[in-house]
Amino acid sequence: MLKSIIRKEILNNLLSYKFSIIIILSTILILVSIFVMYRDYCLAMENHDILRKESGDSIQIIPPTPLGIFTKGLDENLCRSFEIDRKGIGISNKKQKSVNDLFKLFTAPDLLYVIKVILSLCAMLFAFDIICGEKETGTLRQTLSNRLKRPILIIGKWTGGFTSFILPFFIAVLLGTTYVTLSPMVDMNTQDCAKLGLFLLSGVIYLAVFFSLGLLISCLTHRSSTSLFISLFVWAILVFLIPNLGNILARQLVEIPTVQHLELKRRRNWIKGNFELTELERRRDRIKGDSELRKVDDSRRREIIIIRRMMAEIDKLNEDYRNRFNRLVKVSQNITRFSPAAAFTFLATDIMGTGMAEERRLKRAVLQHRNILIDWNPKEHRDEKSKQPVFNYQRSSVKEILGQGGLSNFLILILFNILFFTGAYVAFLRYDVR
Amino acid sequence: MLKTIIAKEFLSNIIDLRFIVGFVLCIIVTIACIMILAHDYKQEMKDYNARINLEDEILDNYAPAALDRLLGMVSTQEPPERFRPLIIGIQGNENVGSFDDNPLPILFPPLDFLFIVTIIMSLLAMLFSHDAIAGERQNGTLRLVISNSISRTTILFGKFIGGIASLIIPFILALLAGVLYISVNPAIQWDGSAWTELALLTAASITFITLFYLLGLMVSTFSRYSSTSILNCLFLWVLLILVIPNVCTYISAQLCRIPSIKETERKQDEIKYPALKVARKHMKEAAKRFKLRYGGLFSEFESMEFGGIGTWFFLDREAASTHQKAAQQRAEEDPEFKVMMDAFRQEFEMAMKEFRRTLKEAGFDKLGRDLGRKSVVQTNLAKNLACISPFANFVYIARDLTGTGLRSLDYFEQTKDEYGDQFQSYAEEKISDARKKNPALDKEYYLDVSDRPRFAFKEEPLKGKLGEVLPYWGILVLFNVVFFVSAFAGFMRYDVR
Repeated sequence: MLKSIIRKEILNNLLSYKFSIIIILSTILILVSIFVMYRDYCLAMENHDILRKESGDSIQIIPPTPLGIFTKGLDENLCRSFEIDRKGIGISNKKQKSVNDLFKLFTAPDLLYVIKVILSLCAMLFAFDIICGEKETGTLRQTLSNRLKRPILIIGKWTGGFTSFILPFFIAVLLGTTYVTLSPMVDMNTQDCAKLGLFLLSGVIYLAVFFSLGLLISCLTHRSSTSLFISLFVWAILVFLIPNLGNILARQLVEIPTVQHLELKRRRNWIKGNFELTELERRRDRIKGDSELRKVDDSRRREIIIIRRMMAEIDKLNEDYRNRFNRLVKVSQNITRFSPAAAFTFLATDIMGTGMAEERRLKRAVLQHRNILIDWNPKEHRDEKSKQPVFNYQRSSVKEILGQGGLSNFLILILFNILFFTGAYVAFLRYDVR
Repeated sequence: MLKTIIAKEFLSNIIDLRFIVGFVLCIIVTIACIMILAHDYKQEMKDYNARINLEDEILDNYAPAALDRLLGMVSTQEPPERFRPLIIGIQGNENVGSFDDNPLPILFPPLDFLFIVTIIMSLLAMLFSHDAIAGERQNGTLRLVISNSISRTTILFGKFIGGIASLIIPFILALLAGVLYISVNPAIQWDGSAWTELALLTAASITFITLFYLLGLMVSTFSRYSSTSILNCLFLWVLLILVIPNVCTYISAQLCRIPSIKETERKQDEIKYPALKVARKHMKEAAKRFKLRYGGLFSEFESMEFGGIGTWFFLDREAASTHQKAAQQRAEEDPEFKVMMDAFRQEFEMAMKEFRRTLKEAGFDKLGRDLGRKSVVQTNLAKNLACISPFANFVYIARDLTGTGLRSLDYFEQTKDEYGDQFQSYAEEKISDARKKNPALDKEYYLDVSDRPRFAFKEEPLKGKLGEVLPYWGILVLFNVVFFVSAFAGFMRYDVR
């Protein structure tokens, strides 16, 4: 019986107007998105090749990942060139950022955006009238008048409905992925393929969350128009409101100075230290005669002390800021995780190596490299040019990603699925089909 | 009769679940958003004041007597936008280009008034209007209404006015509540121009919401069933709000390619360095000739770093002002030295002229100009392409009107440059005065700059902003007219059975 229900549901969907319009929309969007983002990746690669030629001992840069075609995330931030000096780490953004400021106004239309925003809406549109729509047309009453158990009916409807929704999505993604992988500019290794597979799997689970939610709303309402309205309302809250509000809310809870403020404080310390050094030098210049050589030695010792203190103060400022910032990110992540869209964004960007975890990891690596460079004395290694420290960075592997907290986001999505489906199941068991 | 239809439409809407949910959503989201953003604004102001104090502390204690270093110390602090309690502004490159910047807003754009209007209100507008005609036909009430002596034009007008009134009222009430909070908040000080801008922003928002209501109405007049109508509406909504604006910028980047700034610089260097090499060779040869001709006199001139004549160009280093003064003094005392110095200057000018000519012929300036021109073409193309979507038009209007968009970034840069010039003249005068008092003044000497000009950011006048936003507003109005005329044409031919 379950098979018949699934078959009926798939056929019913395939013949509906809703199916045609949603499939046309999602297929066009997925293909356009992959093509547009592929071109964007090619531009980013060209830009990287130009910047790489200039990178050397003090300039570090990593190449854009081909997975950024599907999930751009923070890849633009990750692929900036970091310039290291004693004062800190700078970014020559003006030379690598796009000159088109309009990019600041709109979002990158990558596959993550298509799945997160548009396909989640499509999933709800597929599910909003599964139960209440059938009740309105009177077919639900007739179906249940047979020897058919409600659990089988709802499982069959979920499976049939979700299958008919997800299959065209897979075909479109497959077409797009084939186009990308066959192009000469893209070099994807096994790790990348595994990451892409994991991303698509999490995308399916995310869409299942919204499908289950649509089903739950359908089981709680008796008119499809009411169900649709509530579905859209809930969708707007989960996809836009909570993730976007969570970010601002976290800033209210964690007090953190602006980057400009931090920069100014660092500059103040640097200038103050230099002032002291200049004063010291002046005093040293005034010291004349062999008898006062000891004073000169003292002065040099003080110079070292001042430099060390200056560096320590700046490091302390940086550390304090970074601790606060990490707390801000944590609070923000915890608030926004109430929304499956945010959990999916964190999961997808982390899997593809363009997320917050990768950003933190890269910054840590750059800081470590800076410390190595500062400690490295060229005089000691005069004959060993080849041993000069080189910045080497590899993006996280799948295993590392899942260990870093990716698994928790994955579990959150599964939990949402279980919660919504169980809710739908319970509501349907009590549903008045008359 | 029109009044009756308006009243009926209005009443049937406000007792509907859609109105109740929409009203609650609007009020809660708008007030919560304004309250949170107002608090954020307060924190930003605190941070801004702290930054000003820090900068004062730096300049008051450590202002050096070297012009380049002094100018490098002045960083113009941008105050938080006055519309920050409503709209979060776009950050300039200097804010997002730091190692310690916060990347979270890239993943989740913050929630503000723009979001409420463009996403929530536009979606609500379509939900209100998608079944205005098709729904009544399905219920059979449209046939009954038409069977009376009432024109279709009156029905359509009545439905439009009644529907839009029931949609706009919760929006205005929510906004008023938010504005009330702003006006009683002591941390937010708005002047007359800010309130005018808010009124204009509200008017633009109403134009935008009406546009989506009319789009829903138009789709409804072309649909037989409300279920089909809502699907078509959502399809259009997704295209207009979520797809077109985001894709257009990327499409324009593909259509109109721009070389990267770094690439342009490299090409410029490829032209500059060989030309510089030639010029340096010329100067070195000239120096040899002068040495043979003038002997010890030229050696003396050389020890004075050539009196600063093209030293950066010739020797790749800058001569100290003491050298320049010494050479000048020596030239005044000794006519032969003066002749040699003038001849050397002429050689330098010739080399410089040749250098400039080579750069010009190789298209050095053209490369920079090309980059600027192409970037303007690409930005304009993206901007114009995105105008197909009302969303983009509204974003341009709202951001430019409230000083939270790209225009305000340019305006800030402009005022910053003006202040930079003002400060430079002040610094030059200050250093020259200090030199007059103390001729032995060196670069490590510290100046008292407590009387320096202070940077005070003034908002761009409304007139300039209006000139920028009116074309986009015109497009929004045009969309309204097109959708209304289409809805009218559709309804005239609508089969009410």
